[in-house]
Amino acid sequence: MRLELDEYAYLDSPIHRWDARAKLIGLLAIITSFAFVEQLQYVPAMLGVTVVIYALSRLPVSFLTTRLRYPGIFILGVVGLLPFLSGSTVLWSWGFLSLRQEGVMAAALVVGRFFSILTLGLVLFGTTPFIAQVRAMRSLGLPGILADMLLLTYRYLFVLLEMLTTMRRAMRLRGFSFHPSRFNLQDLQRLASLMGTLFIRSYEQSQRIYTAMRLRGYGALPHRHITPVAQRQAGDVLWHRFGLMLALLTSAGFLIADGLWSGVAS
Amino acid sequence: MEWGRVMIGETDINAILKSQPPTRSAMAPAAIALANLSFSYPDKPNVLHDLNLDIHQGERVGIVGYNGCGKTTLFMLVCGVLTPSTGSVALLGEPVAPGRFRPDIGLVFQNPDDQLFSATVWEDVAFAPENMGLSPEEVEARVRSAMQLTGTEALHQRPPHHLSGGEKRMVAIAGVLAMLPQVMIYDEPTANLDLRARRRLIRFLQSSPQTFLTSSHDLEFILEVCDRVIVLNEGRIAADGDPAQVMRDRVLMEASGLEVPHSLTHTHRSEP
Repeated sequence: MRLELDEYAYLDSPIHRWDARAKLIGLLAIITSFAFVEQLQYVPAMLGVTVVIYALSRLPVSFLTTRLRYPGIFILGVVGLLPFLSGSTVLWSWGFLSLRQEGVMAAALVVGRFFSILTLGLVLFGTTPFIAQVRAMRSLGLPGILADMLLLTYRYLFVLLEMLTTMRRAMRLRGFSFHPSRFNLQDLQRLASLMGTLFIRSYEQSQRIYTAMRLRGYGALPHRHITPVAQRQAGDVLWHRFGLMLALLTSAGFLIADGLWSGVAS
Repeated sequence: MEWGRVMIGETDINAILKSQPPTRSAMAPAAIALANLSFSYPDKPNVLHDLNLDIHQGERVGIVGYNGCGKTTLFMLVCGVLTPSTGSVALLGEPVAPGRFRPDIGLVFQNPDDQLFSATVWEDVAFAPENMGLSPEEVEARVRSAMQLTGTEALHQRPPHHLSGGEKRMVAIAGVLAMLPQVMIYDEPTANLDLRARRRLIRFLQSSPQTFLTSSHDLEFILEVCDRVIVLNEGRIAADGDPAQVMRDRVLMEASGLEVPHSLTHTHRSEP
Protein backbone atom coordinates (compact mmCIF):
# COMPACT_ATOMS: atom_id res chain seq x y z
CA MET A 1 0.00 0.00 0.00
CA ARG A 2 1.39 3.39 -0.97
CA LEU A 3 1.07 6.29 1.44
CA GLU A 4 2.01 9.34 -0.58
CA LEU A 5 -1.49 10.59 -1.23
CA ASP A 6 -0.75 13.82 -3.05
CA GLU A 7 1.71 12.58 -5.66
CA TYR A 8 -0.81 13.44 -8.44
CA ALA A 9 -1.95 16.67 -6.82
CA TYR A 10 -0.24 18.70 -9.52
CA LEU A 11 -2.24 17.28 -12.45
CA ASP A 12 -4.71 19.53 -14.24
CA SER A 13 -8.39 18.59 -14.05
CA PRO A 14 -11.66 20.23 -13.01
CA ILE A 15 -11.38 18.50 -9.64
CA HIS A 16 -7.77 19.68 -9.23
CA ARG A 17 -8.83 23.24 -10.09
CA TRP A 18 -11.72 23.14 -7.63
CA ASP A 19 -11.02 25.36 -4.61
CA ALA A 20 -9.65 23.26 -1.73
CA ARG A 21 -12.29 24.50 0.73
CA ALA A 22 -15.22 24.00 -1.64
CA LYS A 23 -13.86 20.57 -2.54
CA LEU A 24 -13.48 19.61 1.10
CA ILE A 25 -17.04 20.62 1.95
CA GLY A 26 -18.53 19.23 -1.27
CA LEU A 27 -16.84 15.83 -1.25
CA LEU A 28 -17.27 15.40 2.51
CA ALA A 29 -20.99 16.11 2.09
CA ILE A 30 -21.25 13.42 -0.60
CA ILE A 31 -19.20 10.98 1.49
CA THR A 32 -21.47 11.60 4.49
CA SER A 33 -24.61 11.08 2.45
CA PHE A 34 -23.15 7.82 1.06
CA ALA A 35 -22.46 6.64 4.59
CA PHE A 36 -26.19 7.03 5.38
CA VAL A 37 -27.43 5.14 2.30
CA GLU A 38 -29.25 2.01 3.47
CA GLN A 39 -31.19 1.02 0.35
CA LEU A 40 -29.42 -1.28 -2.07
CA GLN A 41 -31.13 0.23 -5.11
CA TYR A 42 -29.13 3.45 -4.60
CA VAL A 43 -25.77 1.66 -4.72
CA PRO A 44 -25.52 1.78 -8.57
CA ALA A 45 -26.22 5.54 -8.48
CA MET A 46 -23.65 5.94 -5.72
CA LEU A 47 -21.08 4.00 -7.75
CA GLY A 48 -22.01 6.02 -10.84
CA VAL A 49 -21.40 9.34 -9.06
CA THR A 50 -18.11 7.99 -7.72
CA VAL A 51 -16.92 6.83 -11.15
CA VAL A 52 -17.86 10.16 -12.76
CA ILE A 53 -15.98 12.15 -10.08
CA TYR A 54 -12.94 9.85 -10.33
CA ALA A 55 -12.94 10.15 -14.13
CA LEU A 56 -13.20 13.94 -13.87
CA SER A 57 -10.19 13.98 -11.54
CA ARG A 58 -8.00 12.31 -14.21
CA LEU A 59 -6.19 10.37 -11.51
CA PRO A 60 -4.67 7.16 -12.90
CA VAL A 61 -6.55 3.93 -12.17
CA SER A 62 -3.35 2.50 -10.66
CA PHE A 63 -3.50 5.25 -8.00
CA LEU A 64 -6.83 3.81 -6.87
CA THR A 65 -6.01 0.10 -7.16
CA THR A 66 -2.73 0.26 -5.25
CA ARG A 67 -4.35 2.14 -2.41
CA LEU A 68 -7.55 0.08 -2.27
CA ARG A 69 -5.77 -3.28 -2.23
CA TYR A 70 -5.16 -3.73 1.49
CA PRO A 71 -8.30 -2.00 2.79
CA GLY A 72 -10.17 -4.08 0.17
CA ILE A 73 -8.74 -7.32 1.54
CA PHE A 74 -9.72 -6.21 5.03
CA ILE A 75 -13.31 -5.36 4.07
CA LEU A 76 -13.70 -8.58 2.10
CA GLY A 77 -12.49 -10.45 5.16
CA VAL A 78 -15.09 -8.67 7.27
CA VAL A 79 -18.10 -9.02 4.94
CA GLY A 80 -17.04 -12.25 3.23
CA LEU A 81 -19.08 -14.40 5.59
CA LEU A 82 -22.20 -12.21 5.59
CA PRO A 83 -23.87 -13.86 2.54
CA PHE A 84 -23.58 -17.23 4.26
CA LEU A 85 -24.55 -16.26 7.78
CA SER A 86 -27.05 -13.41 7.62
CA GLY A 87 -30.72 -13.76 6.59
CA SER A 88 -33.29 -16.50 6.11
CA THR A 89 -34.03 -16.52 2.33
CA VAL A 90 -31.79 -19.21 0.89
CA LEU A 91 -30.78 -18.56 -2.73
CA TRP A 92 -28.50 -21.52 -3.21
CA SER A 93 -27.19 -24.24 -0.98
CA TRP A 94 -24.42 -26.77 -1.16
CA GLY A 95 -24.07 -29.11 1.77
CA PHE A 96 -23.94 -27.06 4.93
CA LEU A 97 -23.22 -23.86 2.96
CA SER A 98 -26.24 -21.69 2.15
CA LEU A 99 -26.11 -18.43 0.24
CA ARG A 100 -28.71 -16.10 1.77
CA GLN A 101 -30.38 -13.17 0.00
CA GLU A 102 -30.33 -10.74 2.91
CA GLY A 103 -26.64 -11.45 3.50
CA VAL A 104 -25.79 -10.91 -0.17
CA MET A 105 -27.69 -7.60 -0.15
CA ALA A 106 -26.00 -6.42 3.06
CA ALA A 107 -22.56 -7.35 1.73
CA ALA A 108 -23.22 -5.56 -1.58
CA LEU A 109 -24.33 -2.45 0.31
CA VAL A 110 -21.24 -2.48 2.55
CA VAL A 111 -18.87 -3.09 -0.37
CA GLY A 112 -20.58 -0.41 -2.50
CA ARG A 113 -20.38 2.13 0.31
CA PHE A 114 -16.79 1.18 1.11
CA PHE A 115 -15.66 1.52 -2.51
CA SER A 116 -17.46 4.84 -3.05
CA ILE A 117 -16.38 6.45 0.21
CA LEU A 118 -12.75 5.37 -0.05
CA THR A 119 -12.52 6.38 -3.71
CA LEU A 120 -13.95 9.83 -2.99
CA GLY A 121 -11.58 10.15 -0.04
CA LEU A 122 -8.69 9.39 -2.37
CA VAL A 123 -9.98 11.96 -4.87
CA LEU A 124 -10.21 14.51 -2.05
CA PHE A 125 -6.64 13.94 -0.82
CA GLY A 126 -5.17 13.00 -4.19
CA THR A 127 -6.12 16.15 -6.05
CA THR A 128 -4.97 18.76 -3.53
CA PRO A 129 -1.46 19.14 -2.10
CA PHE A 130 -1.60 18.09 1.53
CA ILE A 131 -0.45 21.52 2.71
CA ALA A 132 -3.34 23.20 0.80
CA GLN A 133 -5.73 20.64 2.27
CA VAL A 134 -4.63 21.44 5.81
CA ARG A 135 -4.82 25.17 5.12
CA ALA A 136 -8.33 24.70 3.79
CA MET A 137 -9.26 22.85 7.00
CA ARG A 138 -7.65 25.61 9.03
CA SER A 139 -9.55 28.34 7.20
CA LEU A 140 -12.72 26.37 7.89
CA GLY A 141 -12.03 26.47 11.62
CA LEU A 142 -9.55 23.67 12.40
CA PRO A 143 -7.41 24.86 15.36
CA GLY A 144 -3.86 25.86 14.41
CA ILE A 145 -2.23 23.32 16.71
CA LEU A 146 -4.18 20.46 15.08
CA ALA A 147 -3.24 21.74 11.62
CA ASP A 148 0.45 21.84 12.59
CA MET A 149 0.22 18.35 14.09
CA LEU A 150 -1.40 17.01 10.91
CA LEU A 151 1.33 18.53 8.75
CA LEU A 152 4.15 17.25 10.92
CA THR A 153 2.64 13.78 11.19
CA TYR A 154 2.30 13.57 7.43
CA ARG A 155 5.82 14.89 6.84
CA TYR A 156 7.57 12.60 9.33
CA LEU A 157 5.56 9.48 8.57
CA PHE A 158 7.79 9.06 5.53
CA VAL A 159 10.95 9.68 7.53
CA LEU A 160 9.87 6.98 10.01
CA LEU A 161 9.01 4.56 7.22
CA GLU A 162 12.43 5.18 5.71
CA MET A 163 14.00 4.53 9.11
CA LEU A 164 12.01 1.32 9.48
CA THR A 165 13.04 0.15 5.99
CA THR A 166 16.73 0.81 6.76
CA MET A 167 16.50 -1.02 10.10
CA ARG A 168 14.75 -4.01 8.50
CA ARG A 169 17.37 -4.09 5.75
CA ALA A 170 20.14 -4.03 8.37
CA MET A 171 18.46 -6.94 10.19
CA ARG A 172 18.12 -8.91 6.97
CA LEU A 173 21.78 -8.30 6.09
CA ARG A 174 22.72 -9.81 9.44
CA GLY A 175 20.74 -12.94 8.74
CA PHE A 176 17.31 -12.19 10.22
CA SER A 177 14.38 -13.30 8.15
CA PHE A 178 10.80 -13.35 9.28
CA HIS A 179 8.65 -16.28 8.16
CA PRO A 180 5.19 -16.54 9.69
CA SER A 181 5.41 -20.34 9.28
CA ARG A 182 8.63 -20.51 11.32
CA PHE A 183 7.63 -17.87 13.81
CA ASN A 184 9.12 -18.25 17.30
CA LEU A 185 9.48 -16.30 20.53
CA GLN A 186 12.96 -15.02 19.62
CA ASP A 187 11.63 -13.52 16.37
CA LEU A 188 8.86 -11.86 18.34
CA GLN A 189 11.40 -10.35 20.76
CA ARG A 190 13.48 -9.03 17.86
CA LEU A 191 10.46 -7.49 16.15
CA ALA A 192 9.40 -5.98 19.47
CA SER A 193 12.84 -4.39 19.93
CA LEU A 194 12.71 -3.10 16.34
CA MET A 195 9.39 -1.39 17.05
CA GLY A 196 10.65 -0.16 20.43
CA THR A 197 13.76 1.35 18.84
CA LEU A 198 11.65 2.98 16.16
CA PHE A 199 9.39 4.43 18.83
CA ILE A 200 12.32 5.82 20.84
CA ARG A 201 14.00 7.25 17.74
CA SER A 202 10.78 8.90 16.62
CA TYR A 203 10.27 10.33 20.11
CA GLU A 204 13.82 11.74 20.16
CA GLN A 205 13.43 13.15 16.67
CA SER A 206 10.13 14.78 17.62
CA GLN A 207 11.94 16.51 20.49
CA ARG A 208 14.66 17.80 18.15
CA ILE A 209 12.06 19.02 15.65
CA TYR A 210 10.15 20.83 18.36
CA THR A 211 13.40 22.48 19.53
CA ALA A 212 14.16 23.53 15.93
CA MET A 213 10.66 24.99 15.63
CA ARG A 214 10.90 26.89 18.92
CA LEU A 215 14.29 28.31 17.90
CA ARG A 216 12.66 29.70 14.78
CA GLY A 217 9.93 31.40 16.76
CA TYR A 218 7.18 28.77 16.84
CA GLY A 219 4.71 29.79 19.53
CA ALA A 220 6.34 33.21 19.99
CA LEU A 221 3.18 34.86 18.66
CA PRO A 222 -0.37 33.76 19.56
CA HIS A 223 -1.42 33.64 15.89
CA ARG A 224 1.01 32.88 13.11
CA HIS A 225 0.37 34.51 9.78
CA ILE A 226 0.38 31.89 7.04
CA THR A 227 1.28 32.78 3.47
CA PRO A 228 -2.01 32.75 1.58
CA VAL A 229 -2.76 30.10 -1.06
CA ALA A 230 -2.22 31.47 -4.59
CA GLN A 231 -4.89 33.89 -5.78
CA ARG A 232 -7.59 32.24 -7.82
CA GLN A 233 -8.66 33.48 -11.23
CA ALA A 234 -12.11 35.07 -11.55
CA GLY A 235 -13.27 32.46 -14.06
CA ASP A 236 -12.55 29.72 -11.54
CA VAL A 237 -14.80 31.23 -8.90
CA LEU A 238 -17.87 30.20 -10.91
CA TRP A 239 -16.63 26.64 -11.07
CA HIS A 240 -15.87 26.56 -7.33
CA ARG A 241 -19.42 27.67 -6.53
CA PHE A 242 -21.08 25.54 -9.16
CA GLY A 243 -19.08 22.47 -8.09
CA LEU A 244 -19.95 23.00 -4.45
CA MET A 245 -23.62 23.49 -5.24
CA LEU A 246 -23.69 20.35 -7.38
CA ALA A 247 -21.97 18.33 -4.66
CA LEU A 248 -24.37 19.59 -1.98
CA LEU A 249 -27.39 18.87 -4.22
CA THR A 250 -26.09 15.35 -4.93
CA SER A 251 -25.56 14.74 -1.25
CA ALA A 252 -29.02 16.12 -0.36
CA GLY A 253 -30.54 14.03 -3.16
CA PHE A 254 -29.14 10.80 -1.76
CA LEU A 255 -30.17 11.64 1.79
CA ILE A 256 -33.74 12.60 0.79
CA ALA A 257 -34.22 9.67 -1.59
CA ASP A 258 -32.93 7.17 0.95
CA GLY A 259 -35.05 8.73 3.71
CA LEU A 260 -38.16 8.73 1.52
CA TRP A 261 -37.67 5.13 0.51
CA SER A 262 -37.17 4.08 4.13
CA GLY A 263 -40.43 5.93 4.98
CA VAL A 264 -42.35 4.21 2.19
CA ALA A 265 -40.91 0.82 3.10
CA SER A 266 -41.87 1.18 6.75
CA MET B 1 9.73 34.36 -10.13
CA GLU B 2 12.36 37.12 -10.19
CA TRP B 3 15.31 36.88 -7.88
CA GLY B 4 16.76 40.39 -7.97
CA ARG B 5 17.43 42.94 -5.29
CA VAL B 6 15.09 42.45 -2.35
CA MET B 7 13.60 45.65 -0.98
CA ILE B 8 11.03 46.37 1.70
CA GLY B 9 10.16 50.03 1.36
CA GLU B 10 13.55 51.69 1.78
CA THR B 11 15.19 48.66 3.40
CA ASP B 12 17.45 46.43 1.35
CA ILE B 13 17.24 42.98 2.99
CA ASN B 14 20.24 41.69 1.02
CA ALA B 15 22.32 44.56 2.34
CA ILE B 16 21.40 43.64 5.92
CA LEU B 17 22.33 39.99 5.41
CA LYS B 18 25.61 40.89 3.74
CA SER B 19 26.52 43.81 5.99
CA GLN B 20 29.74 43.66 7.96
CA PRO B 21 29.37 43.17 11.72
CA PRO B 22 30.37 46.04 14.02
CA THR B 23 34.11 46.20 14.62
CA ARG B 24 35.34 45.05 18.01
CA SER B 25 35.59 47.89 20.47
CA ALA B 26 35.70 48.33 24.19
CA MET B 27 32.08 49.54 24.08
CA ALA B 28 30.56 46.79 21.94
CA PRO B 29 29.14 43.92 23.99
CA ALA B 30 30.49 40.43 23.30
CA ALA B 31 28.36 38.48 20.85
CA ILE B 32 28.39 35.57 23.31
CA ALA B 33 29.61 35.75 26.90
CA LEU B 34 29.76 32.69 29.15
CA ALA B 35 30.45 33.23 32.84
CA ASN B 36 31.25 30.24 35.09
CA LEU B 37 28.97 28.10 32.99
CA SER B 38 28.42 24.53 34.14
CA PHE B 39 25.91 21.96 33.04
CA SER B 40 24.99 18.43 34.07
CA TYR B 41 22.40 16.00 32.76
CA PRO B 42 20.62 13.91 35.43
CA ASP B 43 22.55 10.82 34.30
CA LYS B 44 25.75 12.60 33.24
CA PRO B 45 27.34 15.08 35.64
CA ASN B 46 29.77 17.85 34.64
CA VAL B 47 29.17 17.78 30.90
CA LEU B 48 30.42 21.36 30.95
CA HIS B 49 32.45 22.63 33.86
CA ASP B 50 32.99 26.27 34.78
CA LEU B 51 33.40 27.70 31.28
CA ASN B 52 34.36 31.34 30.89
CA LEU B 53 34.41 32.63 27.37
CA ASP B 54 33.85 35.81 25.35
CA ILE B 55 33.15 35.62 21.62
CA HIS B 56 33.32 39.00 20.00
CA GLN B 57 31.17 40.29 17.17
CA GLY B 58 32.50 39.28 13.79
CA GLU B 59 34.54 36.35 15.12
CA ARG B 60 34.34 32.92 13.47
CA VAL B 61 34.93 30.35 16.14
CA GLY B 62 35.41 26.62 15.76
CA ILE B 63 34.65 24.28 18.66
CA VAL B 64 36.44 20.95 18.44
CA GLY B 65 36.53 17.93 20.69
CA TYR B 66 35.75 14.22 20.78
CA ASN B 67 32.17 12.89 20.57
CA GLY B 68 30.27 13.63 23.76
CA CYS B 69 32.66 16.34 25.01
CA GLY B 70 29.77 18.83 25.27
CA LYS B 71 29.80 20.77 21.98
CA THR B 72 26.09 20.37 21.18
CA THR B 73 25.19 20.92 24.85
CA LEU B 74 27.12 24.20 24.76
CA PHE B 75 25.17 25.28 21.66
CA MET B 76 21.86 24.40 23.31
CA LEU B 77 22.81 26.49 26.35
CA VAL B 78 23.81 29.47 24.19
CA CYS B 79 20.47 29.29 22.34
CA GLY B 80 18.50 29.01 25.58
CA VAL B 81 17.20 25.51 24.90
CA LEU B 82 18.87 24.17 28.06
CA THR B 83 19.14 25.89 31.43
CA PRO B 84 22.64 26.10 32.94
CA SER B 85 23.23 24.24 36.21
CA THR B 86 25.30 27.24 37.34
CA GLY B 87 26.67 30.35 35.66
CA SER B 88 25.18 32.44 32.90
CA VAL B 89 25.06 33.06 29.16
CA ALA B 90 24.68 36.51 27.62
CA LEU B 91 23.97 37.17 23.98
CA LEU B 92 24.86 40.63 22.61
CA GLY B 93 24.96 41.94 26.16
CA GLU B 94 21.57 40.55 27.16
CA PRO B 95 21.19 37.47 29.38
CA VAL B 96 19.76 34.42 27.61
CA ALA B 97 16.47 33.43 29.21
CA PRO B 98 15.83 29.72 28.64
CA GLY B 99 12.81 29.11 26.41
CA ARG B 100 12.59 32.68 25.15
CA PHE B 101 12.72 33.18 21.38
CA ARG B 102 15.73 35.25 20.28
CA PRO B 103 15.76 35.93 16.52
CA ASP B 104 19.26 37.40 16.85
CA ILE B 105 20.72 33.90 17.19
CA GLY B 106 20.20 31.01 14.79
CA LEU B 107 21.10 27.35 15.16
CA VAL B 108 21.64 25.07 12.17
CA PHE B 109 21.13 21.50 13.36
CA GLN B 110 23.48 18.62 12.62
CA ASN B 111 20.75 16.66 10.84
CA PRO B 112 18.76 18.86 8.41
CA ASP B 113 15.84 16.42 8.66
CA ASP B 114 15.30 17.70 12.21
CA GLN B 115 14.92 21.20 10.87
CA LEU B 116 13.15 20.96 7.52
CA PHE B 117 9.55 20.08 8.23
CA SER B 118 7.47 22.13 5.80
CA ALA B 119 5.92 20.94 2.55
CA THR B 120 8.10 23.08 0.29
CA VAL B 121 11.48 24.78 0.58
CA TRP B 122 9.82 28.20 0.29
CA GLU B 123 7.45 27.48 3.18
CA ASP B 124 10.28 26.18 5.32
CA VAL B 125 12.38 29.29 4.80
CA ALA B 126 9.28 31.42 5.48
CA PHE B 127 8.59 29.61 8.76
CA ALA B 128 10.62 31.90 11.05
CA PRO B 129 9.63 35.24 9.45
CA GLU B 130 5.96 34.17 9.69
CA ASN B 131 6.45 33.32 13.36
CA MET B 132 7.97 36.75 13.87
CA GLY B 133 4.69 38.34 12.77
CA LEU B 134 6.16 40.11 9.74
CA SER B 135 4.00 41.38 6.89
CA PRO B 136 3.60 39.05 3.86
CA GLU B 137 5.79 41.44 1.81
CA GLU B 138 8.60 41.32 4.34
CA VAL B 139 8.29 37.54 4.69
CA GLU B 140 8.64 37.22 0.93
CA ALA B 141 11.60 39.61 0.81
CA ARG B 142 13.43 37.74 3.56
CA VAL B 143 12.77 34.36 1.99
CA ARG B 144 14.03 35.52 -1.41
CA SER B 145 17.09 37.11 0.09
CA ALA B 146 18.03 34.10 2.24
CA MET B 147 17.55 31.77 -0.71
CA GLN B 148 19.65 33.99 -2.95
CA LEU B 149 22.49 34.05 -0.45
CA THR B 150 22.49 30.29 -0.06
CA GLY B 151 21.94 29.62 -3.77
CA THR B 152 18.73 27.69 -3.18
CA GLU B 153 16.35 29.79 -5.36
CA ALA B 154 15.87 27.00 -7.89
CA LEU B 155 14.65 24.66 -5.14
CA HIS B 156 11.87 26.90 -3.82
CA GLN B 157 8.97 24.65 -4.89
CA ARG B 158 10.62 21.33 -4.03
CA PRO B 159 9.66 19.31 -0.95
CA PRO B 160 12.67 19.44 1.44
CA HIS B 161 12.71 15.68 1.97
CA HIS B 162 13.40 15.15 -1.75
CA LEU B 163 16.62 17.22 -1.72
CA SER B 164 20.20 15.95 -1.63
CA GLY B 165 22.23 16.22 1.60
CA GLY B 166 24.06 19.33 0.41
CA GLU B 167 20.86 21.01 -0.75
CA LYS B 168 19.13 20.23 2.53
CA ARG B 169 22.04 21.77 4.44
CA MET B 170 21.87 25.01 2.43
CA VAL B 171 18.06 25.20 2.77
CA ALA B 172 18.42 24.67 6.54
CA ILE B 173 20.89 27.58 6.62
CA ALA B 174 18.51 29.73 4.54
CA GLY B 175 15.70 28.96 7.02
CA VAL B 176 17.81 30.36 9.85
CA LEU B 177 19.23 33.31 7.87
CA ALA B 178 15.67 34.48 7.16
CA MET B 179 15.50 35.59 10.82
CA LEU B 180 18.44 38.01 10.10
CA PRO B 181 20.38 36.68 13.08
CA GLN B 182 23.56 38.40 14.22
CA VAL B 183 25.04 35.18 15.57
CA MET B 184 24.90 31.84 13.80
CA ILE B 185 25.68 28.43 15.24
CA TYR B 186 26.46 25.50 12.95
CA ASP B 187 26.44 22.07 14.59
CA GLU B 188 28.66 19.72 12.56
CA PRO B 189 27.76 21.41 9.25
CA THR B 190 30.00 19.19 7.10
CA ALA B 191 28.53 15.91 8.40
CA ASN B 192 27.36 13.69 5.49
CA LEU B 193 28.34 16.22 2.81
CA ASP B 194 30.16 15.16 -0.34
CA LEU B 195 33.27 17.08 -1.41
CA ARG B 196 31.42 19.46 -3.72
CA ALA B 197 28.76 20.35 -1.15
CA ARG B 198 31.47 20.74 1.52
CA ARG B 199 33.42 23.13 -0.71
CA ARG B 200 30.26 25.12 -1.41
CA LEU B 201 29.58 25.38 2.32
CA ILE B 202 33.16 26.52 2.98
CA ARG B 203 32.87 29.28 0.35
CA PHE B 204 29.53 30.34 1.81
CA LEU B 205 30.91 30.53 5.36
CA GLN B 206 34.06 32.37 4.24
CA SER B 207 31.86 35.09 2.76
CA SER B 208 29.40 35.09 5.65
CA PRO B 209 29.38 38.38 7.59
CA GLN B 210 27.76 36.99 10.75
CA THR B 211 29.53 36.08 13.94
CA PHE B 212 29.50 32.32 13.99
CA LEU B 213 30.28 29.32 16.10
CA THR B 214 30.74 25.97 14.48
CA SER B 215 31.58 22.52 15.70
CA SER B 216 33.15 19.92 13.46
CA HIS B 217 35.29 16.80 13.42
CA ASP B 218 36.54 18.01 10.04
CA LEU B 219 39.56 19.95 11.29
CA GLU B 220 40.61 21.02 7.78
CA PHE B 221 37.20 22.69 7.52
CA ILE B 222 37.84 24.52 10.81
CA LEU B 223 41.22 25.67 9.49
CA GLU B 224 39.59 27.07 6.37
CA VAL B 225 36.64 28.95 7.88
CA CYS B 226 37.54 29.91 11.44
CA ASP B 227 39.82 32.57 12.84
CA ARG B 228 39.69 31.14 16.35
CA VAL B 229 39.39 27.63 17.72
CA ILE B 230 38.36 26.31 21.12
CA VAL B 231 39.32 22.78 22.13
CA LEU B 232 36.89 21.17 24.56
CA ASN B 233 38.05 18.28 26.69
CA GLU B 234 35.99 16.68 29.47
CA GLY B 235 33.72 19.71 29.68
CA ARG B 236 36.54 22.24 30.04
CA ILE B 237 38.33 24.56 27.63
CA ALA B 238 41.66 22.87 26.92
CA ALA B 239 42.88 25.52 24.46
CA ASP B 240 41.68 28.71 22.84
CA GLY B 241 43.45 30.59 20.06
CA ASP B 242 44.54 30.71 16.45
CA PRO B 243 43.37 27.51 14.69
CA ALA B 244 46.69 26.68 13.01
CA GLN B 245 48.68 27.35 16.15
CA VAL B 246 46.41 25.42 18.49
CA MET B 247 45.84 22.44 16.23
CA ARG B 248 49.53 22.04 15.40
CA ASP B 249 50.20 21.12 19.08
CA ARG B 250 50.31 17.32 18.86
CA VAL B 251 50.45 16.76 22.65
CA LEU B 252 47.41 18.97 23.26
CA MET B 253 45.47 17.46 20.37
CA GLU B 254 46.13 13.87 21.41
CA ALA B 255 45.36 14.62 25.05
CA SER B 256 42.00 16.00 23.82
CA GLY B 257 41.19 12.90 21.78
CA LEU B 258 42.01 14.61 18.47
CA GLU B 259 44.69 14.45 15.78
CA VAL B 260 46.77 17.18 14.16
CA PRO B 261 45.13 17.98 10.79
CA HIS B 262 47.00 16.52 7.85
CA SER B 263 47.74 19.93 6.32
CA LEU B 264 49.63 20.92 9.50
CA THR B 265 51.79 17.82 9.83
CA HIS B 266 54.34 18.87 7.16
CA THR B 267 54.87 15.27 6.23
CA HIS B 268 54.46 14.51 2.56
CA ARG B 269 54.53 11.04 1.17
CA SER B 270 56.56 10.76 -1.98
CA GLU B 271 54.90 9.27 -5.02
CA PRO B 272 56.04 5.68 -5.70
